[in-house]
Amino acid sequence: MSLFDRNKPLFGSFGKPKDGLHHLGPLQQIKPPQRVFRDDEEIDYLIVGVGSAGGVLLQRLARAGFKVAGFEAGPFWDTERDWVSDETGSHNLYWNDLRITGGTDPLALGNNNSGKGVGGGSVHWAAFTPRFHPSDFEVYTQDGVGADWPITYEEIEPYYQLLEQELPVAGPAWYPWGKPHGHPYGPHPMGGVGDTLIDGCTKLGIGVSAGGPVAILSASRGDRPHCIYRGFCIQACKVGAKASTLVTHVPDALEHGAEVRDNSMVSRISVKDGRVDGVHYFDRDGNERFQRAKAVIVSGYAIETPRLLLNSACAGHENGLANSSGTLGKYLMAQAGNVILGRFDQPVRMYKAPPAHALTEEFYETDPKRDFARGFAVQTVGPLPIAFAKQMSVAKNQWGWGLRRTMMDYNHWSALGLLGEILPWKDNTVELADGKGGRPEARDRYGLPVAKVTFNLHDNDTKLIEFGKNKTMEIMRAAGATEVVQEARYAHLVGGARMSKRPEDGVCDKFGRTWDVPNLFVMDGSVMPTQGSANPGLTIQALAARTADYLISQGSAVFTANGRDLTSPPCRHSLSPPGTFTKGIPHLR
Amino acid sequence: MAPQKVQTKRLPVTDPLDGAPIQLDQPGYYEGFSTLSQQAYWDDATRKVVLQRMTAAHPILFFTPAEAATMAAVLDRILPQEDRTAARRIALLPPLDDRLFHNRIEGYRYEDMPSDQDAYRQAAKAFEQMAQTACGRSFHELETMEQETLLQSLHAEKPTAPEDAWKGINIKRFWALLVSDCCSAYYAHPWAWDEIGFGGPAYPRGYMRLEEGQPEPWEVDEQRYQWAAPADTLTDTPASEQTGEKVQSQAGQGGTH
Repeated sequence: MSLFDRNKPLFGSFGKPKDGLHHLGPLQQIKPPQRVFRDDEEIDYLIVGVGSAGGVLLQRLARAGFKVAGFEAGPFWDTERDWVSDETGSHNLYWNDLRITGGTDPLALGNNNSGKGVGGGSVHWAAFTPRFHPSDFEVYTQDGVGADWPITYEEIEPYYQLLEQELPVAGPAWYPWGKPHGHPYGPHPMGGVGDTLIDGCTKLGIGVSAGGPVAILSASRGDRPHCIYRGFCIQACKVGAKASTLVTHVPDALEHGAEVRDNSMVSRISVKDGRVDGVHYFDRDGNERFQRAKAVIVSGYAIETPRLLLNSACAGHENGLANSSGTLGKYLMAQAGNVILGRFDQPVRMYKAPPAHALTEEFYETDPKRDFARGFAVQTVGPLPIAFAKQMSVAKNQWGWGLRRTMMDYNHWSALGLLGEILPWKDNTVELADGKGGRPEARDRYGLPVAKVTFNLHDNDTKLIEFGKNKTMEIMRAAGATEVVQEARYAHLVGGARMSKRPEDGVCDKFGRTWDVPNLFVMDGSVMPTQGSANPGLTIQALAARTADYLISQGSAVFTANGRDLTSPPCRHSLSPPGTFTKGIPHLR
Repeated sequence: MAPQKVQTKRLPVTDPLDGAPIQLDQPGYYEGFSTLSQQAYWDDATRKVVLQRMTAAHPILFFTPAEAATMAAVLDRILPQEDRTAARRIALLPPLDDRLFHNRIEGYRYEDMPSDQDAYRQAAKAFEQMAQTACGRSFHELETMEQETLLQSLHAEKPTAPEDAWKGINIKRFWALLVSDCCSAYYAHPWAWDEIGFGGPAYPRGYMRLEEGQPEPWEVDEQRYQWAAPADTLTDTPASEQTGEKVQSQAGQGGTH
């Protein structure tokens, strides 16, 4: 289909979705997925969770010729039929099933950080895609806190470059922080909130990256239109301009013979003679079934991944599968995500433009002049009315006429987000709400114990948040805000099944292969030993692409041998979805 | 429809000529702005969701009639709408009732809280007990000020007697849940979008005027006027300003980045 059809509005679909076609954005239309493996057919790789990591793994492994299936607890979205430009109408994008949250600083879950459905969190992320800094991979060595990664920045760098092309990422040609780099697509125009950040930072002499880095198209590519600046990024991008694995990688996976088994909830991983032989799952009708597989990759994100492994405890793995180290479900991290809101005399209309479109990483690294380790970023956010009303009810402690009055000024407010690094702590955990050991008991509709999440801030975190919050408020005031308030909150979730150099320190090795079960892998945000103050999405996808290269290099050894080869694979440039890395950046197929 | 004069002192807008309180079809500073007038430019799925929200009948299924009477009165104080003409008020209780009846939760529950359903049942009972203890009448029969006073005590986490009415509930978290549910109902409605000047659904058309608060051609520039909350209300000033104390609010719930 040509983008330049004179008879139809450019890029747009004002009509009804077409029968018999599955829509991934207004232009990308596929036949509904066809391939279905039989339960007793032994597939090569069974991936649990088709989100940021699962989508990339599925695509890579299918292209390499493996028999691969992605099991997804949520639906396979049709973007024209299922997604809306509406806050309340987007409720189903999130993991809304019950979890118990506690600790001294309990995390809000659901729409705050948890996706459900094909594409996972990449469906509702704001799509900021900063890389981690080289220092992130050796936090313990540099600062004596947190942990070191079993890999260096140099090992993941080629995958950053690859994914920045595949998504692709729009941003400035020169990005000065971490290891300086550029971006393949041009930066986005500024919205009102971006102007706030630029004005404030400029007055204070702080550098700003304007117009990215975000995985949102600033120009159309192939069958994905460019951004229309409607501001509903975290309600899922109906436009298809924002990258999600649903639109970037899953279509290519299907093209190469992968199966996506949606509405299928994996309940337990089966182990026989020390090796995984398949998974038990509930299908879309609620029937419990068993799918055979030669290897399993768990990509359920920082809560569901530990939960599934804990729920898979069996003889020889009494404390949970792949938990001989005792670190499974430990070192859970969220980033400080305080929202700083400022009122301006002139209107801002912050609902226009993507919430994510400018940031500063000037305060990212440890500064010996401060009394805490590590740092933070300051980013644009653009809460829509319901989110803003909830924020103001907390930030200004308002209700009644006061809240109505504040809301009538919605268009005068701008919002900046702190993104602060919280260190990995052993007492920040995902456990089972199984009623044992003093834990509460709660079960989901399948009768499985739900996750019990515990989160406590520690001294370094508290100091960092206080400093970062005040710095962001200073930026907001410098931009000209006459009233500045803030709401404390947290963003993102990583850790819980971390990778490590030694088996006693983590759940998996640097490729995500669990230390205890040779054909069981973990690959998603939960493998991260630390989190920096960069949004985790790009790094999750880069790690997944690297693990895919590793699995391809290992060939059938993974399915038969118990040995562990930690040789790094070559970075393959031949596996990208069509029209991305290998062919430059064409605008039309 | 012309503004309607009403017999009360408790309205934010008064007639500039005679000072009489008036109700408006559309409060806020964007007179003439209508998101619904743009629905031809919305996609099919969004139009369906928004219009259904406005028209669907919502029988009250979760709350008992007595609980519903109490909770409706509570919600009317959390987000008061007396400044709106009767035909243009946004129903708050039905969406909440529907959510609880169909168990549409936000994906988690605090370990020091019962389920949303149990919390609201207990709260409806507790509000009624507070009203009976303080005034000897049902909550929904109280004067507006009396209702505000009772709610203010809960907001300050020092609910009036009886003491054990809120046992087992973390009041700070319940308050956040209550206000959050009201915001979800009110600001999901196109009339509320018109009130605050929010452009509403924007696919597939999008926005083209991104900076300096400029309106699209179909949006309306702000036209401010004197808006004063009812003089006697307790709810127009944040508690922190009233008491001079720094209020430690709880962490937010929603996702923004």
